[in-house]
Amino acid sequence: MKQKMAKLLLVVCFGAFLISGCSCLKEDVKVEEPIAPPVKVVEAPPAPAPAPPPAPVVVAPVKEVPVVVPVVAPVVVLQSVYFGFDKYVLTADASDVLKKNADAIKKITSKVQIQGNCDERGSAEYNLALGENRAKTAQKYLITLGVPADRLSVISFGKEKPLDTGHNEAAWAKNRRDDLVILK
Amino acid sequence: MKSALCLIITLLLFPTASFADPSYTEVTAQGNRQVYLAIAPVKNLGGTPNETIAREIGDILKFDLNLAGPFSILTGSANEASSGIRPGEFDFAPWRSIGAAFLIKSGYAITGNSITLEFRMYDVLNGKSLDSKRYTGVLKDLRKMTHTFSDETLFVITGEKGPFTGKITYVSPLSGNKEIFVMDYDGYNVQKITNNGTININPDFSPNGREIIYTSYKKGNPDLYRREITTGVEARISSRQGANITGAWSPDGSRIALAMSKDGNSEIYIIGKNGNELARLTHHEAIDISPSWSPDGSHIAFVSDRLGSPQIFIMDSNGSNLRRLTYDGKYNVNPDWSPKGDRILYSRQEAGGFQIYTISPDGTGNTQLTTDGRNENPHWSPDGRFITFSANPAGGEAIYVMRADGTGKTRVSRNGSRDMQPAWSNHL
Repeated sequence: MKQKMAKLLLVVCFGAFLISGCSCLKEDVKVEEPIAPPVKVVEAPPAPAPAPPPAPVVVAPVKEVPVVVPVVAPVVVLQSVYFGFDKYVLTADASDVLKKNADAIKKITSKVQIQGNCDERGSAEYNLALGENRAKTAQKYLITLGVPADRLSVISFGKEKPLDTGHNEAAWAKNRRDDLVILK
Repeated sequence: MKSALCLIITLLLFPTASFADPSYTEVTAQGNRQVYLAIAPVKNLGGTPNETIAREIGDILKFDLNLAGPFSILTGSANEASSGIRPGEFDFAPWRSIGAAFLIKSGYAITGNSITLEFRMYDVLNGKSLDSKRYTGVLKDLRKMTHTFSDETLFVITGEKGPFTGKITYVSPLSGNKEIFVMDYDGYNVQKITNNGTININPDFSPNGREIIYTSYKKGNPDLYRREITTGVEARISSRQGANITGAWSPDGSRIALAMSKDGNSEIYIIGKNGNELARLTHHEAIDISPSWSPDGSHIAFVSDRLGSPQIFIMDSNGSNLRRLTYDGKYNVNPDWSPKGDRILYSRQEAGGFQIYTISPDGTGNTQLTTDGRNENPHWSPDGRFITFSANPAGGEAIYVMRADGTGKTRVSRNGSRDMQPAWSNHL
């Protein structure tokens, strides 16, 4: 028994020497080369065809008056509708505006995109969803007013496209809106 | 007799046991600043001396290891008679006398466009070498090579590598519209990823760090794209009608959770990395967005306003067992599940600003990490030691990093733009 223990102790001592002591005996630099192979940091190629800038918000009045055409195309103005903070229900004012918009849209044949927007408060992500709800609320109402569904589409810009970049209630109120944009 | 033997074994093995043990020092908390690390002046080891490069190496080490947390960096330098960097080429006593527990010595040798860096880490109290590494590469990889040793240093001290070779992807309106960028975690080597002139948001790294997903309006609808960073090869993986936003890569890299509105309003779905729909997880008329996976992929935290205002919820990753996580505060968003699974970061809108909090997945231990201004979109570093987020202390929004306990808040993006929505990649 004693002998066994002595042996064990010897092994343990030697083991400890091997593990802790050996580092003094040899150069332990691990050459890791090349750590960073001459990786070319490839610049991301520019996007193939730079997308055209976002369609300008085409809100009439249309300036050019057709010269030769006998019947003048109706000049259509679609008004924006506004919402309360963190709300996407239509106010009475918003409903009235949408009724006028519905009449105007029925006079033309173009498609209309409803663009939902939010004020700068709240998170960018939540506002994207909120803006979409605002656009869809207007879309549903326009459909109930008789605008064909296939003439309407929606998109949300969340808080990415403020009309007024101020940081006060006046600016925020302008930014919580749906813009109705006539598509070409 | 037996216990005496055990004692002897323990004593004999002590120096090696501490190597084998994952933590060389007892680092029980972030920001434990009682241990002092000295970083010796960087030495020229051959070739043309270059003071700028020597200073840059030292600055990178100091920046990384100061943020690291387990130690304070000693600002002074020891008065050495001989300042060699290898064992036997210098004396530990002067370092011991200024209070250093650990010491990093390093040197460089430049040949043409190539540089060799040698780093050595010492236990000053025991006068012992802990680690040594030599890296050779081109000069422009100097920062990457030095960050690699910082990662290594944390491994030696704590048993787990640092995240300093990771990258941060983020959104910047630098060029007038929001584009996606990638930079080193400390703000260097800024690389513009998208350049399409529209709105590009919500970037997230794949688990291997080689790809990102992001949402872009470049084709007129907020669609989800997957892009390989180095080659720029890209695929539009979800262009379903309506929103395809807040994509989050699954921990195994095979799937993506995201919010889509194709079925009427914003709901959480899982799609394959090529865009095929795998599952719809939520069915509610309220807004459901911003999914974040638990590290084992079994659960998903997300934001829903189904109870009237945005709050964080958790569900199984098949949509079952839904439960509410946050009860305090009226507006809680941006959940990010920690890499170890034990905490969930989120940001809360309160009193005009946004503050970052963490909470356990069981709803206990809610802890506030920031106090002023607008602090948003918190994301964990891949090792869970640090958090990157956007903040606007002086008006201008920028990308910041801090320790997981909220200490060491440091601005890293420095272009004067309103940088936001950062995510930190694994080692490449």
